[in-house]
Amino acid sequence: MVEVKELLSRLLDENKLSYCQDCGSCTGSCPMAKALPGKYNPRRLLQRVSHDLPDLLRSEELWLCAWCYRCTERCPQGIQPTEIFLLTRNLASEEGRIPKNPKAIIREIMRSGRSVSVPDGFDEWREGYGLPPIGMTISPKAIEEQRKIFGEELLRRLDA
Amino acid sequence: MTEYLLYPGCVASVRELGYEMAMRAVFKRLDVKLRQRDDFNCCMPACLVHSVDYKRGLALTSRNLAIAEEEDLPLMTLCSSCFGNLSRAKYLLDSNQDLRRDVNKLLGEVGREYRGKARVEHVVTSIYKDYGPDGVREMSVKPLSGVRAAPFYGCHLFLPQRYSGFDDAEFPQKLDRLIEATGAESVDYHEKTSCCIGCGSFFGDVSEEAGLKLAEIILDDVKASGADAIVATCPFCMMQLEVGQIKLREAKGKEYGIPVIHYVDAFGLSLGVEPSELGLDLRRISVSPLLQKLGRD
Repeated sequence: MVEVKELLSRLLDENKLSYCQDCGSCTGSCPMAKALPGKYNPRRLLQRVSHDLPDLLRSEELWLCAWCYRCTERCPQGIQPTEIFLLTRNLASEEGRIPKNPKAIIREIMRSGRSVSVPDGFDEWREGYGLPPIGMTISPKAIEEQRKIFGEELLRRLDA
Repeated sequence: MTEYLLYPGCVASVRELGYEMAMRAVFKRLDVKLRQRDDFNCCMPACLVHSVDYKRGLALTSRNLAIAEEEDLPLMTLCSSCFGNLSRAKYLLDSNQDLRRDVNKLLGEVGREYRGKARVEHVVTSIYKDYGPDGVREMSVKPLSGVRAAPFYGCHLFLPQRYSGFDDAEFPQKLDRLIEATGAESVDYHEKTSCCIGCGSFFGDVSEEAGLKLAEIILDDVKASGADAIVATCPFCMMQLEVGQIKLREAKGKEYGIPVIHYVDAFGLSLGVEPSELGLDLRRISVSPLLQKLGRD
C-alpha cells in the first residue's frame, strides 16, 4: 500500500512545490481568503507545508479550505493546493487531530450512511409531497460495507 | 428511452425536497426513467472523509461507482458536490493505476471492484447533453419571457475542468445558454461563478461567518443586477443563498427578497409543469413575485 507521506511527497515533487513563484494566484482566487482576510491564506499555507509542518498540523487554518478548486485550476506552475492540503490533513488525522465538527459529521456518515441526519417520521413527510421513502434507502448491508472499508482503526479514531 | 441511475445524495433528499420534486416532475414529463438502488453510501465529501484518510475516502466514494457499473447506467446526481466527488474519484482512479489497485484492494474486501466504466452526470449536465439549448427551446410551451435570471454556477459543476469536463473553467457559458433556451434573459453579473462554500466548509462558527460574508457579496451583486431570481444548479448553493437572505435580514435588516430556484424549476416552468408540482412553495424565499411576473401564481 502506498502511504500518505509517500503520496504527499510524490504530489509535492510532481507538482514542483519548490517552483512556487509566490504569485498569489491561489490566494487571489480563494473564496475563503476573500471572506476571512488575515485569517486564511493558501499561498502562506503551502509554504507552511514545507517549512512549518508540525505547527501546521495543529492549526485551524489547515481545515478551512472549502474545496472549490479555483487555486488548483489557476496555478501557473500546476501545483494542486487542494489535494496537497487534503493529504496534509491526513497527517494531522494520523496524530489524532480531527476537529470537532468534521469528526461529528463523519461519525454520522458511518452510523447512517448519510452526512445529514434524517429526522423521525421523515418518510411520511416526503410522502405528503409525493416523494418515495428514503428512510431505509441506505440498506444495513451498505452501512456494514461502508464501515468495513473505513476500517476499525479509523472508527476508533472517531471515538477518541 | 433514456434511463439514469439516480444518485439522490444527502442534502437534496433531506433538505431540498422542492428540488427533488422538480427534478422528478421534469424527468417524468420528458419520459426519462430513473432507476433507484438502496445501497449507495454518502459521496464522502473530500473535505470530510478524504481529509481523514485519502485512500479509504476514495474507496468509499468509488464504491458508488462500482455499483453504477453493475447497473451499466450513467449515474445522475442532484447535488454538485456529489457530482464533484464522484467525478474526482473517477478521474484519479482512471489516471493512476497504482491508486486504482490500492483502492480496489479495499473494495475487494467487500466484494466490489471499480473497472473504469462508470459514467457520472448531474441533473444539469444530463439536460445539456441529452437536449441542449436547442432541445430545451423546442420543447418550451410556456417560455419565461420577460424574466431576468441570474445564473449561479456553483463550483463543482465545472471545477476543476479536468475532473468534471463540463464547461470552461474561467468563463462557463452552458448554464447561461440553457437559461436563455427557457425564454428568460440570462443576466451577467460579477459573482456569477463565485463560491458559496456551502458544501466545502464544516468548521463551525468560522465557516458560518465566511459563508454569510460570501452570501452577502453575491446577493448584493445580484440585487444590483436587477435580476428577478437566482437560477442555481446545486442544493448547497440554494440553501446558502436563501438562508443567507434570512440571516442578513435578522443581522443587518437587509431585505433582498430574491427568489432562488434551480435550473430544473426554470426548465419545468417552460415545459408547462405546474409550479406546485415543482415544489416551488417549499422555497425559503417566496417565489410569488417571479410567478406573478409570469402570470402563473
